[in-house]
Amino acid sequence: MNAPSRTSDVMSASSVIRSCTFRVGADCFAVPADVVIEVLRGSGALARVPLAPEAILGLLHLRGRIVPILDPAVRVGVKRPTADTAATYLVVALDDDWYGLAIDEMLDVVEVPVDRIEEPRSPSTEGAAVTGVFAAPDRLVHLLDPQRMIQSPVRPRPQTPERLGVPHGRQ
Amino acid sequence: MSDNREFIEEFLVESSENLDQLDKDLLALEADPADQQRLASVFRTVHTIKGNSGFFGFSKLGALAHSGEHLLGRLRDGRLTLDDRIAGTLYSMVDAVRSILGSIESTGTEGDKDYRDLARTLAAAAAETDTLAPVPPPSVVAPPPAEPVVEAAVAAAAPVRPEVSVVPPPPAAAEPLVPSATGSPRAGAASGGTAPATLAATESTVRVDVDLLASILDLVGELVLARNQLRSIDSDDPAVQAVAQRINTVTSALQETAVKTRMQPVEHVFNRFPRTVRDLAVSCGKEVQLVIEGADTELDRTLIESIRDPLTHLIRNAVDHGIEPPDVRVTRGKSRAGRLALRAFNESGRVTIEVSDDGGGIAFEVVREKAVARGLVSAAEAATMPAERVLQFIFEPGFSTAAAVTSVSGRGVGMDVVRTNIEAIGGTIDIRSTPGLGTTVRVHVPLTLAIMPALVVRCGSERFAIPQSAVGELVPLKADRTGPRVEGLAEAPVMRVRGRLVPIVYLDQFLGIRTTTACREEGTVVLARVDDRELGIVVDGMQSASGRLRRGEFVDAASLSTIVIKPIGSLLSGLGLYSGATVLGDGGVVLILDLRGLLRAANIPPMIRESQAAPEATADSAERYLVCGTASGRRVAVPLGEVVRLEQHRRDAIESAGGRRVVRRGDLFTTLCDADELVGGHATSQPATLNVVVLGDHRGGVGITVGSIVDVLAAESRLHPVDTHGVAGILSLGGMATELLDLDAAAPVEAAAP
Repeated sequence: MNAPSRTSDVMSASSVIRSCTFRVGADCFAVPADVVIEVLRGSGALARVPLAPEAILGLLHLRGRIVPILDPAVRVGVKRPTADTAATYLVVALDDDWYGLAIDEMLDVVEVPVDRIEEPRSPSTEGAAVTGVFAAPDRLVHLLDPQRMIQSPVRPRPQTPERLGVPHGRQ
Repeated sequence: MSDNREFIEEFLVESSENLDQLDKDLLALEADPADQQRLASVFRTVHTIKGNSGFFGFSKLGALAHSGEHLLGRLRDGRLTLDDRIAGTLYSMVDAVRSILGSIESTGTEGDKDYRDLARTLAAAAAETDTLAPVPPPSVVAPPPAEPVVEAAVAAAAPVRPEVSVVPPPPAAAEPLVPSATGSPRAGAASGGTAPATLAATESTVRVDVDLLASILDLVGELVLARNQLRSIDSDDPAVQAVAQRINTVTSALQETAVKTRMQPVEHVFNRFPRTVRDLAVSCGKEVQLVIEGADTELDRTLIESIRDPLTHLIRNAVDHGIEPPDVRVTRGKSRAGRLALRAFNESGRVTIEVSDDGGGIAFEVVREKAVARGLVSAAEAATMPAERVLQFIFEPGFSTAAAVTSVSGRGVGMDVVRTNIEAIGGTIDIRSTPGLGTTVRVHVPLTLAIMPALVVRCGSERFAIPQSAVGELVPLKADRTGPRVEGLAEAPVMRVRGRLVPIVYLDQFLGIRTTTACREEGTVVLARVDDRELGIVVDGMQSASGRLRRGEFVDAASLSTIVIKPIGSLLSGLGLYSGATVLGDGGVVLILDLRGLLRAANIPPMIRESQAAPEATADSAERYLVCGTASGRRVAVPLGEVVRLEQHRRDAIESAGGRRVVRRGDLFTTLCDADELVGGHATSQPATLNVVVLGDHRGGVGITVGSIVDVLAAESRLHPVDTHGVAGILSLGGMATELLDLDAAAPVEAAAP
């Protein structure tokens, strides 16, 4: 029952992956169940973050934490009318940080045998968040790597080197 | 050994506290070698370390502690008397023990250093019983005149302040530091016989994981939020009201208590300083008397660590450069021993830590010369600069006034790092010095990092928090354009504040919140200062505690909110614009502006642009001109409409390319043209910094270098054409004839390079 925390590298070591499946637009996705903190519904308006990357919809306050809400549609290139109408957030924990994924509908938690997971179809998605595809009874599900979901959607900004913390070299 | 990890960690924590106490006790013993109680305490501490190291199988540590214990036993039995040499040996032992403990902490082993020599020295010192007859304490304390000595604050310091507390520490403060010191010296480490007072202190404190405290604080934050929501629910039921009121009171008290768990007395940092000062004084050949006051002042534990290095640096400076050698002091009519005072106290919601010495003070003239030599300021400017401004140069990178580089300090790195580190935790630093009488450096730090007062501003539908520590003043803009206003240098708007030109950022425009800039007419300018840079941020207004939009000139209690800073995760902190977020009383999430990042992103050059301007007196109807003085002293003007921005560059930042002088700003080059040369003269002086008036792009991005920026004035006469190359005519500006530059002559002959 110990589901691996990272889909890609630990996949082979375990025979079954427990995944939370959900719908974004017309497509279905899944994340490993063990990173999911909770599913929030109708939690009110998000605080906007001016100049943030497009994939960041805003910030939400959840139990003392500030949780950035991401739009998976932007990240994986799926079209959907407007993410703002998606009032359901799937909150996942990565290391010490929590992130929310704006989803349209929460589906089932499924157990997928590893050997049923196939490579993503389009080989062009190198480094993309989709790490695999599997067939659920009535649909095709794209397996997401949450770690990759949050990687570098931020435009780098020019930064001057920090002067902080330089100890005075002597003794 | 891994089974023991928990116990070993406890042993390490305890031992490190014991070592701090050892340093303290040894210093006190040096001042009064006859203090039996303290000798017993030192003995006990070393004995405990020995016992514990035996228990965990740390043989090196055990052997070292054993030798130390033996020597201390001789001292305690009165067969030896503590002198400088023995004290030095004991200090070496403390250092060695500390280093072994450090090694145990990081690697789990004692390390491969050899301490047998030290153990032999300790043994040798203990064996000298007969060569040194027991000497009455006083004659030992008073050292031979040439030998440096440190006296921790003793009777002599007492009249200065009643709270003098390095030595002897109040028993209450000292006790918890030796929680498990065993009573009978001959008994094993785990034996009983602990003094009742120590026992009580041990039982009244508990070690708690810091993460646990943090999560308690988080939960309390949640509770506060829920409390606020509860308050906003209208209910006529008196029972509900009573319960709500009760929850309100309890929550506030709980919040206050939870915050207190993060606080620690600055003593944790100050503890090491008597030892630091002693070692420094010995190596510098000085006599220093350290006075510590207010060591019980509390500060957030995360800040305690952050101030350690800056304070150590300030103390080094004071001992090495501030306090004179004893002989010099005597010829100057001062006491042989210099006085170094370290004071901590609460002041208007912040903690102030003051490091002051009664040494030679800072030689203003040397600083002035050095500043000129380094090109930080022109000689003329420096000559008229008040002493306080001159002192500020000390904080410039690589600035040092020390005549000699010593092993202790004087390599020219330091004060800028001190200031940067202090400012990184939201603190400020200022320095005062009287030549011949001493220097006082004051460091002001916030009580805590997690909670701070902030100004909540509104901009369109968004709200942002600005740390109060950075906010200088608020300037309301008036729609009828009376009062202060933003002046239009098209690309780089500025505001004139008491003779300074402060760069302005329209927050709505900058963050892309809205394209219509409603706040331009009626907004409020928040004047903020970061490092040595100033910035005006135009917002719609402030949000008061009641949630209303308000405008005003004063940063007062009504406009400040106490916010709990929460991290926003690496995803957004990478933007460099927000340092965190907070949740306001109404439940809304608000981003905290990172002003350093804002300055960077807005590409505001790191210079303070100043004009020696007289107060403005202009009519809006007439065309306005930027009046400048050339390096040779001619008074010239440029139509304000042509000016894009003002820049200041050091002379050494100017590069030469294709026979032209250019200066770089980001990816762009500005071709420079000197105002004197433009009008056919020659620049007579070579100031260290150049004021550059940058013209619009249709002029090819040309910058005219001038000696000074005088003012923006409206013409009082019509243009009188003259036949001088580079001069378009003469105008009366500010009651003086002024040459209007012919900007066509300034443009490069060939078409400007892209």
